[in-house]
Amino acid sequence: MRRRLIDILFASVVIGALLAAWELGVAYGYLKVYQFPPASRIAKGFVDLTTVGFPTGITVWSHTATTIGRILQGYAGALVLAIPLGFVIGSSRVLDKMTAPLIVFGRSIATLSLLPLAIVWFGTGELTKIVLIGYGCFWVMLSNVIAGVKYVDPVLLKAGRAYGASGIELARTVVLPAALPRIFAGARMALGVGFMVIVGAEMIGTVEGLGALIMEARTFYRSEITIVGMLIIGVLGFAISTGLMWLERALVPWGDPLAGVRR
Amino acid sequence: MRSSAQSNMGAAPRLAADQATAAQPAAPAIEIDRVTKTFADRAGSGITVLDDISLAIAQNAFVSLVGRSGCGKTTLLNILAGLEAPTSGAVRIAGRPVKGPGQGQGVVFQQHALFPWLTALENVKFGCRKRPISRAEKEDVARDLLALVGLQDAAAKYPREMSGGMQQRVAIARALALDPDILLMDEPFGALDELTRIELQDELLRIWQVRRKTVVFVTHSISEALVLSDRIVLLAPHPGRIARDVTVDPPRPRVRSDPRFATLYDEIWRGLSQ
Amino acid sequence: MKPGRTSDILLGLAGVAIVVAGWELLVRGGAVDPKLFPSPTMAFAEAAERLSAATVAQHTLWSLYRIVVGFLLGAVAGTVIGIAAGWYRGIGLVLRPIIELLRPIPPLAWIPLAIIWFGLGEPSKFFIIFLGAFFPVVTAAYVGITSVDPVLIRAAQTFGLRGPGLLLRVGLPAAAPDLLTGIRIGWGLAFGILVAAELIAADRGLGFMIMNERNTTGSVAVIVVGITLIGILNLITDWAIAAASQRYIGRWHGR
Ligand SMILES: Nc1ncnc2c1ncn2[C@@H]1O[C@H](COP(=O)(O)OP(=O)(O)O)[C@@H](O)[C@H]1O
Ligand SMILES: [Mg+2]
Repeated sequence: MRRRLIDILFASVVIGALLAAWELGVAYGYLKVYQFPPASRIAKGFVDLTTVGFPTGITVWSHTATTIGRILQGYAGALVLAIPLGFVIGSSRVLDKMTAPLIVFGRSIATLSLLPLAIVWFGTGELTKIVLIGYGCFWVMLSNVIAGVKYVDPVLLKAGRAYGASGIELARTVVLPAALPRIFAGARMALGVGFMVIVGAEMIGTVEGLGALIMEARTFYRSEITIVGMLIIGVLGFAISTGLMWLERALVPWGDPLAGVRR
Repeated sequence: MRSSAQSNMGAAPRLAADQATAAQPAAPAIEIDRVTKTFADRAGSGITVLDDISLAIAQNAFVSLVGRSGCGKTTLLNILAGLEAPTSGAVRIAGRPVKGPGQGQGVVFQQHALFPWLTALENVKFGCRKRPISRAEKEDVARDLLALVGLQDAAAKYPREMSGGMQQRVAIARALALDPDILLMDEPFGALDELTRIELQDELLRIWQVRRKTVVFVTHSISEALVLSDRIVLLAPHPGRIARDVTVDPPRPRVRSDPRFATLYDEIWRGLSQ
Repeated sequence: MKPGRTSDILLGLAGVAIVVAGWELLVRGGAVDPKLFPSPTMAFAEAAERLSAATVAQHTLWSLYRIVVGFLLGAVAGTVIGIAAGWYRGIGLVLRPIIELLRPIPPLAWIPLAIIWFGLGEPSKFFIIFLGAFFPVVTAAYVGITSVDPVLIRAAQTFGLRGPGLLLRVGLPAAAPDLLTGIRIGWGLAFGILVAAELIAADRGLGFMIMNERNTTGSVAVIVVGITLIGILNLITDWAIAAASQRYIGRWHGR
C-alpha cells in the first residue's frame, strides 16, 4: 500500500520533470515550438478545438462523432456477416478446410491497400470508408468465430450429447457459450483493426473525422492540434477496448478475458 | 572422507549420524541459530512465518522436515539456500554465515525448475558453470551425473520431452553438478506418482551413499520421511516452530515394511496432530 | 480417425479453385463489368502489358527496404525497452505509463507528426513502420519478462547467477516465446502500415504503385494485381517468420 504510493509518486515526479524540461527547452529555444509543442500549448490547442473548432466551425466533438459513426457502421456490418458465417464454417470440417486458405489470404491483404479499388467502386465518399473498416473487421471476426466454434472442448460436446442435447439445442446450450469468450476476443481485436483503418482512410479526401483533423492541422502548421487529435484517438481507442472488456466480463463471466488474444 | 564413503558402498551401511559422532567431532554442516522470518502483509504489521528456529545438522546426515502446508518449510529451505534472508538470527554452513546462494548449497525444487530451453545435458552443465574446471571437464562431469541418475540416453532431450520422474532426476543431477556439500530438497517427489516416487527415493538413497552429502529434505509424506531419514524434524504452524525432533534408527538398507516404522509413524502423526 | 493432411490440402485447393473459377466465370459471363473488376486471367494479362517486371520489382524492393529497416528498429527498441521495463522496477515505473498512454494511438495517426519531425523522405516512413513494430513487441517483451516463472530465477541463483548474467541467460530465453509472438504480430502490423504510409505519402513502393494507378485513372487490373501481390508478400514473410521462430523455440516450447 505504502509502496504503491511511493511508486506512483516516483513515476509522477520523473514524468513531471520530463514535461517541465520539455517546456523549458521550448522556452529557451532549444526545441522548435512547431516541432515539439509543449504541454501548455497542447492544452491551449485542446481549448481551441472545443470552442472554435478546426477547421473553424467543426469542433473536436463533431470530428469524434463522425469517426465513431463510421467505425460503428463498418464494424456492425462486419459482425452481422461474420458471426453467422463463422458458425456455419466452424461447425463443418469440410467447409473449414476449404475456406482456410481463403481466410488466411483475406486476412493477409492489407486493408488499406484496397483503398484505390474501393475508390474506383464506391467513389471517395462515406461508403468507401465504411467498406474498408468492414473489410478489416470482417476477417478478424470471422477467423475468431470459426476458431471459437471449432475448438469447443470435445468433452463438453460429449457431455452435452450424453444429456440428450443435439442439433440446434446443442449449438445453443454448449457451442455458443463455449465459443463466446473467443468471439468476444475477436470482437475486441476487430474493433482495434477498425480503429486503425479509419485513421488511415480519413487521411485521404475528407476534412471531417479525427484522421482528417490531424492531417489537416499539419498542413496549417498547427502541430499542437495534431497532437490533441492523436491523444483523443488514443483515449477513444482505450475507452472502447476497456468498455468492451467490461461488457465481456458482464456477459461472459465464465471466460478468461485474455484467452485467444494471440492470433 | 568422500573416498572412504565410496569404498563403503555395498558393505554394511553406516548411519551418517554414527559416522559424524565416531569419526570426528566436526562442526555441524548446517547451524540454524534462532532464525525468525516475518513477511510484510497488507496491514503493515507483518506475519511471522518462522519463529525462533534453532537446529544443528550433522555432516552427511539425512534430515527431513515434515509439517503441514503453510508452516514455513519452503521459507526455511530458501533461507538455508541463501535465496531469502532471515528477519533475525543466522544460518551457518560449515561454520561460515550464509550471505547468499552459491555457498555450497544445491537446491532441488518441487516443480523440477529445469530451464525449458536447455536439453538435459545442457541443464546439468548449467549446474557447473561457475566451477573452476575446463569446458571439456564440465561436459564429462555432466555426462557422469546423467549416468548416475540413469539418464545417459536422454542427454539430448528437452524437459518437455521427458516424464515427471525423468525431469526430477535431471534436476537432481543439475544440483549435484554444483558439487555442493549440502543438498536442499523441497518436496522433490511431491508431484510424482507413487511408483515413480518409490523408485526415486531408492535412487536418492543410493546417490546419497555414493556422494556423501548432507541432505535436508522437505516432505508431506511421513512414510517417505521414515524410509529416507536419519532424523525427522516436525514443524508446527502459525508461527512455524520446531514441534518434535525424532531420530529414525532402523538400520539401512531399510525395508519399507519394517515393523519398527509403525510405531515411529504413529509417534510422528501424533506430533503433527497436536 | 485423424484426418489426413493431404485431404486437408486438397480441400483447401478446391476452395481456392472454386472462388477463382467462379470469379472468372462471373466476369466472362457478363455479370460483372471487367472495367470495374477484371477476371483473374484478364487482370494478369493487362497488368503484364502495362507494367514491366522491372518496375514491379523496383516498387517491391522499395517497400521491402522500408519495412525491413523500420521493423528492425522497432523490434530491437521494443525488445530492449520492454525487457528493461519489466526487469528493472524503476525503469518500468517511469516507462509503463508513457507506453500505456501512447499505445492506443494507431501508428498511422503519427503520420502528420512524422512528416513534421522527419520531412517527407524515407525517415518518416521508417518512423511510422518503427511504431507499428514497436508497440506489439514492447508489450510482448514486457509481458514475457514479467511472467518468467520465479522458480527458474531462483534455480539460476542457486548456481551463482545474478545481475545481467541472470537476465541474459534466464530472463531472455524464458521470455522468448512471448517475444516471438509479439514480433510476428508486429511484422503483420508493420506490413499494413507500410502500405498505408505509401498510399498517403510516397512516390514509390507498392502502395504508391496502386494508388498512383487510380489517381492517373489507369487500369483496375494493375490495382487488383498490386493488392494480390502485397497480400502474397505479407503471407510469405509472415510464414517465414513463423517458421523461423518455430525452429528456435518449437522443440522446447511446443506450439
Ligand atoms: N514472499 C512471501 N510474502 C508473504 N508471505 C509469504 C511469502 N512466502 C511465503 N509466505 C507465507 O508464509 C507461509 C509459509 O509458506 P511456505 O514456507 O511456502 O510454507 P510450506 O512450504 O510449509 O507450505 C505461508 O502462509 C505463506 O503464505
Ligand atoms: Mg512449500
